[in-house]
Amino acid sequence: MNSFESQKSLEFLKNSFREYYEKNRMALLPDRFGRREFAFTFFGGKGMLRHLSFSKKKDFIDFLKERVPAHAYYSSAYYQKPDAPSMQQKNWMGAELIFDLDSDHLPNAEKLSYTEALEQVKKEFKRLVEEFLLQDFGFDEKHLELYFSGGRGYHCHVKDPMVFDLDSNERREIVDYITGRDLRDTIIFRQYVSERRQYGRRIYSGIKTLRMPTPDQPGWKGRISRGIIEIVNEIKKSRDPIKKLQEYGVKKRNAEKLIRDLSDERVRRIKNGLLDQSKTIRSFFLNSALRKTAVALSAGETDEPVTCDTKRLIRLPYSLHGGTGLRVTKLDIDDLEEFNPLVDAVVFDDRPIRVRLLQPIKMEMNGENHKLQTGIQDVPRYLAVFLVGKKMAVVA
Amino acid sequence: MMDLTILAKYPFLNNSREYIKKNGPSVKDLLESLVYERARIIGIERLDNAFKNRDVGERSLATETDCIMELLSYPIARMIAVCVGDNFFKRRYALGEAYHAYKNLINEQTSFLIKVSKEFNLNVKYAEENKRIKIHFKDYLRNAPTRYKEWKMINRDMEKGYIYVSHKELARLLEEALRRKINKDLDSRECDETIYKVFSSEISRFQNMVMIHRKKMRTTPIGKLSVEKLPPCIKNLLSAIQAGENVPHMGRFAVVAFLNSLKLSVDEIMKIFSSAPDYEEDKTRYQVEHITGSISSTSYSPLGCEKMRTYGICPEEQIDEICKKIRHPLNYYYRKWRQKEKEEKTSTKEETGL
Ligand code: SF4
Repeated sequence: MNSFESQKSLEFLKNSFREYYEKNRMALLPDRFGRREFAFTFFGGKGMLRHLSFSKKKDFIDFLKERVPAHAYYSSAYYQKPDAPSMQQKNWMGAELIFDLDSDHLPNAEKLSYTEALEQVKKEFKRLVEEFLLQDFGFDEKHLELYFSGGRGYHCHVKDPMVFDLDSNERREIVDYITGRDLRDTIIFRQYVSERRQYGRRIYSGIKTLRMPTPDQPGWKGRISRGIIEIVNEIKKSRDPIKKLQEYGVKKRNAEKLIRDLSDERVRRIKNGLLDQSKTIRSFFLNSALRKTAVALSAGETDEPVTCDTKRLIRLPYSLHGGTGLRVTKLDIDDLEEFNPLVDAVVFDDRPIRVRLLQPIKMEMNGENHKLQTGIQDVPRYLAVFLVGKKMAVVA
Repeated sequence: MMDLTILAKYPFLNNSREYIKKNGPSVKDLLESLVYERARIIGIERLDNAFKNRDVGERSLATETDCIMELLSYPIARMIAVCVGDNFFKRRYALGEAYHAYKNLINEQTSFLIKVSKEFNLNVKYAEENKRIKIHFKDYLRNAPTRYKEWKMINRDMEKGYIYVSHKELARLLEEALRRKINKDLDSRECDETIYKVFSSEISRFQNMVMIHRKKMRTTPIGKLSVEKLPPCIKNLLSAIQAGENVPHMGRFAVVAFLNSLKLSVDEIMKIFSSAPDYEEDKTRYQVEHITGSISSTSYSPLGCEKMRTYGICPEEQIDEICKKIRHPLNYYYRKWRQKEKEEKTSTKEETGL
């Protein structure tokens, strides 16, 4: 790539983005925008412009149009003086509760394609929203806003006024709940001891049984129970159960033993809530069920989930992501299943753009299959923006 | 009207306040009349007990007079606490009231606890279907000591925003809510001059008590720690802990991990916490040992500046030149240490003579 090409590429992205920002003025105005801090980065620029605020709608829209940021962020917090240079002076008034799920944090992220990775995060995101936020926490659907991030994940903003004044410790507790941290097995598995019995002259001590919760119990108890049953079913149904167990991280020898132990009778007992297995089997089930059902939240630069941070910047809804050209798109809970970012978050037309591909491409976008070799060729503009943004191509 | 003994036992309730307003004496009489001498004495006793035993204490409520005196002693104690004007003292008093209320509350009917919850604006319900008490998670979060594992939300049953609690646990949540309420109340009031005059000798006695307590804390050096080399964040947290401010879990964690890295022993770290008004030896020891890794296999490493900031425990308005050069509070300490050594090498004899 020469500097002429990269200059042209930046120009191309910037012009395309400008067109978008000119056309979509009003959609970009977030609620309470006068109380929020804004931050931007620019094409070819270094660093981030922070501590901005706008009091007039027009100023905000003009800013986007004139400066055309590559990435746009706003604060999940509301401030008295959003443009003050230090956090102290801004005077914090409250903040939405933000959940950020990103495919970078999937255990096997490197091996997955962009589409596959997004698909996986979506599943987890759905669980977060449905099982945790709506079911356990009981938030009202009307207070949840879901967004595709324009990049590699999804965001959920909880806008129930009740959460605004939660401090970072309280947020941390919520995160621990969702990520399954510090779950105590003694609370999940309860030991029952049957009465002592006497046969003849001998007294037999009571029989200990370990019970696990039933699937319909609220919160984590039911969740773990459902997880365990799911795992048992998976293993039983699998053609190669040993291998399945190895996928769960069980050593071959233990896996063989476990399979031997999991007789149909045992499985029946487990489904009835009796988990009187050995300690290793128990902890295997607990840990696997936990991993299966907890949600991994993305960590910020500080390794701490974004959710704990009460002063966090988050991608501005409806802005464009400078690395993909995709729009930060709002979703309905019911549309989540169907949502396909590579169609539904695409904003550009298919006017041909001449690019030089730096690597071969095979992907589906906007309902079309694109299978391209390296080198110079014309591609539709939506694809050009995506590839140039991802640095897989330059404008020729 | 509620039973007078109830009002006396729970003088913080609205009904109790109204009762005093309607039937109580004038402030002048309360402070001067011989009739109320006993209420004044009890008021002081409340404070003494709270300071020494973390509990304002139990007195007989057999007669109507007993109850009235007990009830009137409450505003007196509060007014004096405000005039003593010391945070530690105030916190300790609030704790003493709250703890005492807790001890009484566990013996009341659940319906009474729910009534009190309503007064505290806690969203608490009695679920008829399973005969269990439930509280909205937000109110739970605010008042539960979630630094202990069994209180963490994840180890509770939560459904549609509500967490189930037992009778005793609800009493514990009310204790914390009351403590916060009293703290807030004490902080929002100013000392009244008349009160100051009437109780001036008691007030200075209390101030003295606090001073002695503080001195005792200060003269016991924290291991070989050099306090003036501590970064602003740790210094702040330490003094907040010792003043009995409600330091969040992460703050405690940061301090313990930091001190542990400076090779302070568990006992030395415990000593610092022991001056907090809500200190409980067993639980603190468990936590400290957990963080330092003496009972768990992992010891936690102290937080860097970035994380401190995330948790809002880096006092951004107090950061100094050294802070700007480092990214970890430990390095602050080491840097100061080196700086000091350099200074000492070049300093004059008189100075080292100090
Ligand atoms: S900058 Fe670092 S060392 Fe300084 S006060 Fe903040 S957290 Fe502590």
